[in-house]
Amino acid sequence: MKLANLTKVLATTALVALTATAAMAADIAVIGGSNDDAFWNKIKKGIDDARPAVEANGGTVNYLRLANYDNFAPDVVQLIRTAISMEVDGLVIPNWVPEAEDPAIKDAMAAGIKVILMNAGGADKARELGAINYIGNEEYPAGVAGGEYFAKAGKKNVLCVNTLPGAANTEARCKGVADAMGAAGVVSTQLPLPTTSFGDATAVAEAIKAELMKDETIDGVITISAGDADSAAIGVQQSGRADAVSLASFDLNEAGLARIKDGAQLFAIDQQPYLQGFLATSILASAIDFGTDLPTFPVLTGPGIVDASNIEATLAGVAKGAR
Amino acid sequence: MTSTTANRPADTTPAQGPALSIGGLLRRPEAGAFLGLLAVLLFFAAFGGLTFLKPAGMSSWLNVAANLGIIAIPVGLLMIAGELDISVGAMVPFGAMTVAVISGHYGLSIWLGIAVTMTFGVTVGLINGYMVIRTAVPSLIVTLGSLFAVQGIVLGLTVLITKSTSVALTVQGPAKAIFGDFLFGGQLQVMVLWWLALTAAYVFFVHLSPKGNWIFAMGGDKVSARNAGIPTDRMTILLFVLSSTSAAFIGMCQAILYNSAQVAGGQSFIFNSIISVVVGGVLLTGGFGSVVGIFFGTITFAIVNQGIYYTDFDRNWSALIIGVLLLLAVLMNNTFRKMALSATTKKKGA
Repeated sequence: MKLANLTKVLATTALVALTATAAMAADIAVIGGSNDDAFWNKIKKGIDDARPAVEANGGTVNYLRLANYDNFAPDVVQLIRTAISMEVDGLVIPNWVPEAEDPAIKDAMAAGIKVILMNAGGADKARELGAINYIGNEEYPAGVAGGEYFAKAGKKNVLCVNTLPGAANTEARCKGVADAMGAAGVVSTQLPLPTTSFGDATAVAEAIKAELMKDETIDGVITISAGDADSAAIGVQQSGRADAVSLASFDLNEAGLARIKDGAQLFAIDQQPYLQGFLATSILASAIDFGTDLPTFPVLTGPGIVDASNIEATLAGVAKGAR
Repeated sequence: MTSTTANRPADTTPAQGPALSIGGLLRRPEAGAFLGLLAVLLFFAAFGGLTFLKPAGMSSWLNVAANLGIIAIPVGLLMIAGELDISVGAMVPFGAMTVAVISGHYGLSIWLGIAVTMTFGVTVGLINGYMVIRTAVPSLIVTLGSLFAVQGIVLGLTVLITKSTSVALTVQGPAKAIFGDFLFGGQLQVMVLWWLALTAAYVFFVHLSPKGNWIFAMGGDKVSARNAGIPTDRMTILLFVLSSTSAAFIGMCQAILYNSAQVAGGQSFIFNSIISVVVGGVLLTGGFGSVVGIFFGTITFAIVNQGIYYTDFDRNWSALIIGVLLLLAVLMNNTFRKMALSATTKKKGA
């Protein structure tokens, strides 16, 4: 009896969803992280900025956020079910926990909902599920962009400081740097720091200082996180080679942006979360409303390079909550 | 290091020993730790070359030792007294974030930030100590609880207040010079002076003042210690206050030095401080050890941890080399201690 009811509901949902699509007004649900999460607030800013365009065409945008991350996978699945029951036309969803989310995402598609994966999941997953696109970041290309920037700046030997060696994303970042520099005929080596150094700014700074003093050919340092760059800045300065050694980091923080402004850091690599929210919402609405089909697959929002040339605009973006 | 009445643990030789003899020095708890220190120093001098022993190289491990040592000594005293404090891992980012939020995010006076940070450090220590003496729960579990609780508070409050997990802080003037700068614009952190001064204060408190013996008695047998009239409760609370305040202090100084605070990090201080204490000759079972031993143990750890960067070893093997060298240092220390202590007994028996 219960099962029969459920089937009926699903069938009705599908029918209504199809009708809604035919009405050509995109009702979109976007699922995202908690309001307390600074990163997700930048994505939310992108969604909010895309909303007026969707509404101008008679559609709606509904941002369904996780209240917290305590009961993560079930909560995400619940939000997908909620979106299905709201009979939306389109769903933007980060594929954080594929095992848990995939069945619910497939149900959404079966109900006629068009899906875009955002921020987490990747292009392969989007293809596998039949989502219309993946909009987000990939670590390896981010590393490649960093390596190319260093090579173009004339750097010959860059140290990629990895405070979390062995983790897939940090390894991919350093490998990207190394491959890009290798392609330019110069080198980048990884410095894996043992766990005994993790979270001790002095241990990280002194390790970098020691490497710089030992190998005088090193002329660039890149760290896998913005926080590590704060330690690296002191390490570089203490090595006495601040003039020759350029600093860079993956991700942004306030202190790092201040260093770029002052000329103490060459650049930072940003995945530009604002664009993830903005593009995912508008691309999906356009696909539903007008049948557009973007040939670019996946749509990568990073790497975006922040350096002296765009630091003022970036800081303006920080002030507006978009960076 | 030099000749003063040694604190003998209750279960070993009662001899006060001739104050200045070589044998007397060798039988002190820190002698083994000093040998371990010499061994790793020689190891890295051999494999790391001269840079390792030049001022820039020495500052590399002295700075790390100073940051760790200020936390390791009170943690070691707790271990001597038979307790453990692992909440220091959360107190480091807590201290860093408190000062960064108050003096960085809100832009209030740095001195206010310092005062509030220290007050928070004392408060958590009081809670830890009070919980340990009031409940029968082992201090490992109590401080495990406060470790997680404080981590949660740091993350929750920081994001609530600043909408970020990384807060910038720029400090200038005397506060920068006192808490987070390099001495004379050189390579040594001002932290090294703090560390030496605090170590001297602890040596006086533990080994020269009459109250120091209480700590050893508590680690030997808490019930007997209480029956003998030692205020074990007050002493326990004091030690917990010292450890959590020291950890908050280090976090605060790092934030001032590195111009930034992160909510994550600091957990490595838990294991690193315990390792330094054990390498320094403190028994995990309590009742035996010395401040100077912990001092040497901390330097040993810092040398092993940083020395690797002066060698040509493949960096992927760092953790392995660190592990093996630390184990060797402890084994050497233990073997030496047994030899030294049994030598005394034999002489007395003969």
